[in-house]
Amino acid sequence: MRFGGLVAVDGVDLEVRERELVGVIGPNGAGKTTFFHTLSGVLAPSAGRLLVCGADLTGRPAHEFAAHGVARTFQTPRVFPGMSAEQNVRFGLEFAGRRRSHAHDAFSDARAILGFLGLADMADVPAGGLTPARQRLLEIGMALGARPGVLLLDEVAAGLTEAEVELAAALIRRVRDELGLAVVWIEHAVRVLMQCVERVAVLHQGRKIADGLPHEVARDAAVMEAYLGQDAIHENGSAA
Amino acid sequence: MTLRATLKLTLAAGIVLAAGPWVLSDFMLSLTLTCLMYAGLAVSWAMFSGATNYLSLATAAFFGLGAYVTAWTLQALPWPVVVLLGGLVAAAFAALVGAAILHLRGAYFAVLTFGLGELVRHAITYFEKSYAGTVGRVLSATPEPATVYLTVLAIAMAAVCTCALVRASRLGLALVGIGADEERAQTLGVNTRRVKIAAFALSAFFAGALGAAMAVRWTYIDPPAVFNAFIGFQTVLIAMVGGAQTIIGPLVSALVFSLLTEFLRLQFPYLFLMILGTLLILLVLYLPGGLASLWPLLRARLAAVGAWLAPLEDRGRRG
Amino acid sequence: MSFWLELAASGLITGGIYAVVAIGLNLQYGLMRIMNISHGEFLMLGAYLAYWAHTTMQLSPLVALPAIFAALFVLGLLVYRLCFRRIARTAPNVEAIEARSLLVGFGLMFLVQNAAYLAWGADLRGYQYLAETVNIGGALFGANRLVVFAFAIATSLALLVALRYTLLGKAVRAMMQSPTGAQLVGIDTSVLHPAVFGCGLGLAGVAGALLSMVYEISPSMGEPYTVTALIVITLGGLGSVSGSLLGGLLLGLVEALGMHFTSPSLKMLLSYGVFIAVLLARPRGLFAR
Repeated sequence: MRFGGLVAVDGVDLEVRERELVGVIGPNGAGKTTFFHTLSGVLAPSAGRLLVCGADLTGRPAHEFAAHGVARTFQTPRVFPGMSAEQNVRFGLEFAGRRRSHAHDAFSDARAILGFLGLADMADVPAGGLTPARQRLLEIGMALGARPGVLLLDEVAAGLTEAEVELAAALIRRVRDELGLAVVWIEHAVRVLMQCVERVAVLHQGRKIADGLPHEVARDAAVMEAYLGQDAIHENGSAA
Repeated sequence: MTLRATLKLTLAAGIVLAAGPWVLSDFMLSLTLTCLMYAGLAVSWAMFSGATNYLSLATAAFFGLGAYVTAWTLQALPWPVVVLLGGLVAAAFAALVGAAILHLRGAYFAVLTFGLGELVRHAITYFEKSYAGTVGRVLSATPEPATVYLTVLAIAMAAVCTCALVRASRLGLALVGIGADEERAQTLGVNTRRVKIAAFALSAFFAGALGAAMAVRWTYIDPPAVFNAFIGFQTVLIAMVGGAQTIIGPLVSALVFSLLTEFLRLQFPYLFLMILGTLLILLVLYLPGGLASLWPLLRARLAAVGAWLAPLEDRGRRG
Repeated sequence: MSFWLELAASGLITGGIYAVVAIGLNLQYGLMRIMNISHGEFLMLGAYLAYWAHTTMQLSPLVALPAIFAALFVLGLLVYRLCFRRIARTAPNVEAIEARSLLVGFGLMFLVQNAAYLAWGADLRGYQYLAETVNIGGALFGANRLVVFAFAIATSLALLVALRYTLLGKAVRAMMQSPTGAQLVGIDTSVLHPAVFGCGLGLAGVAGALLSMVYEISPSMGEPYTVTALIVITLGGLGSVSGSLLGGLLLGLVEALGMHFTSPSLKMLLSYGVFIAVLLARPRGLFAR
């Protein structure tokens, strides 16, 4: 992905299989969010191809990605502040969610999704009035409303307490286990992510420098070098 | 207010107002007519621009186009068809323009729609002179004033009902989403391009139909007469003062402004417009939601007063 | 041959004016996301000021130019303080800033234009200045038009130089590229924003004064220039002053040629056509890398 003279994402290949929980980590400026923008159709890539369930969606607008089952959250929660929490979730259901039938139609309506996320009693609260932590959860709810096959999560843990992060991670596992979705998860809270996911890709300065099982990636020399001076990754993925 | 209630109320108001030609004086009828026109214009403007925050300044262009459709077809086609055609031509033009510029930022869109009035005016002037050999047109065989009144009433009611229906529908939800966070709405499956063009064309339809209907009030029209920036300005002002996110706001506001315009505009044309301009500035700076945004505050105050006035036992019972 | 020279010159001269107007708008929008739709009205005020200076004080408009710039600069500071500063402070996001400043500008347009109608009436006015023709290579040009062109280019170049080499200019460019970064380095937006806004209006006034040398003036003369300025900004790329200069000249040329082959009344249609074509082919401007 090229912006003028700057190459933000350079030759990153990522394959995500059904029901796979993949983590994407990397130091600041590695191009992770830009990568997500291309994955969700927000940005059209300067080069390369995007295949979603066999359909070539390269350069298509974002709503087609949503129609093919790609749903995402943003680094800072983008909810519709004037609408209630329930309306926010219902939005996804009304549009992308309509076109997709999903094996797990446990989610026939917004309230069920809110219940899954533990936000059931906030249903009528205007989204702008929720705490940031709850807004993050709501954003996941909005994405779930679109009945996706793949969920792209951009930094769920930012600004959350340790306990909240653990809850979020458990929720993400449930999304994969109970709903059968594939999940791609960008995160700075590397430790939690490494304990949760089954595969990790590491981006550094726009390139993918590692892709494999968490404990192997943690011992990868290139990865340690990339993180040197920031957080060194030790065995079992605990942050220094 | 629920959709059904709004529709019923509109229908009732329409029936009451339909008696106009037989109970009102000529002056009052003319005033009511202007008021209905602005009501229709403001509501249809708010339907698109109020929800999406894409400020369309093209109302004058659509209105003028509709008026010219009347000038061209009045002799050849029956009246209802003329009016309908005026709306359709405006809608088609809006769809074309929208396809070209609606993907731009709101600021670009606003300035370009503003230029549309000039553009259409010049184009029609050129076209008339080169191909029709005329500068203006005389309108003859115009319908009765009562017919014009009822037509405008019908269009205004249709505008209000359409606006209410849209707001209750998926289209309305999509529009609100676009206004709140367009990119987010897109990632949730809204085809923003198609939705914007459709809503823009729909709002243009009413402006065009109103222009077609009102054209017969002039006996002679030429481009400068019907492509009048004031109509666009007045529409925006009325909608903004009333509150562009509601339906009732623009309606009440249209009434107030029609009265003001009627009594002040001819006396002090320039000063009046200066005051209106200042009013818009003050409004946007200090009350962006229009007067309708004061309504919840007012209701809360009234509720508080009501609670205070209630006798002690009632208050205890309500708990 | 001389006919084509005259045609091209006429297009370039108009284009020079477009450039000056566009640069002002470019700076305002590029820096503050304020799309001042009443920009053209301040062009009109500059024209009336020049007219007044010439008819009452027999002052050459060229001599009066700096004063006109200064007068409109001060007016710009006032307008910013009264109308736009509050928007920047109270709007929840960038889209709201854009939408609200558009509406304020719309109201401002009616306010200023009708104030002019009230003060000066609707008649066209004009004055004669340097109306002799000059012969260059067989082609005839009005001396005043040549002077207008020279000054328009000079103004644009002066601004380019100022942006590139003065501290204030660098501050403006820094802010346009990275608002937060610039503030962290100590650049004060509460000073910079009004200054740039005033500068934008000053440029519009200069363009108007130049125009008054050649054309007749009226209160509604400014309207088309706002739209044209936007088209030029799109051609040249948002935030690029040199782009606005080149884009303005180019648009002027294209219009002159287009009008010759079709009709003067289709000028706006031509500009819109150019605009849409450029947007489709090169959305970031003709000169973007």
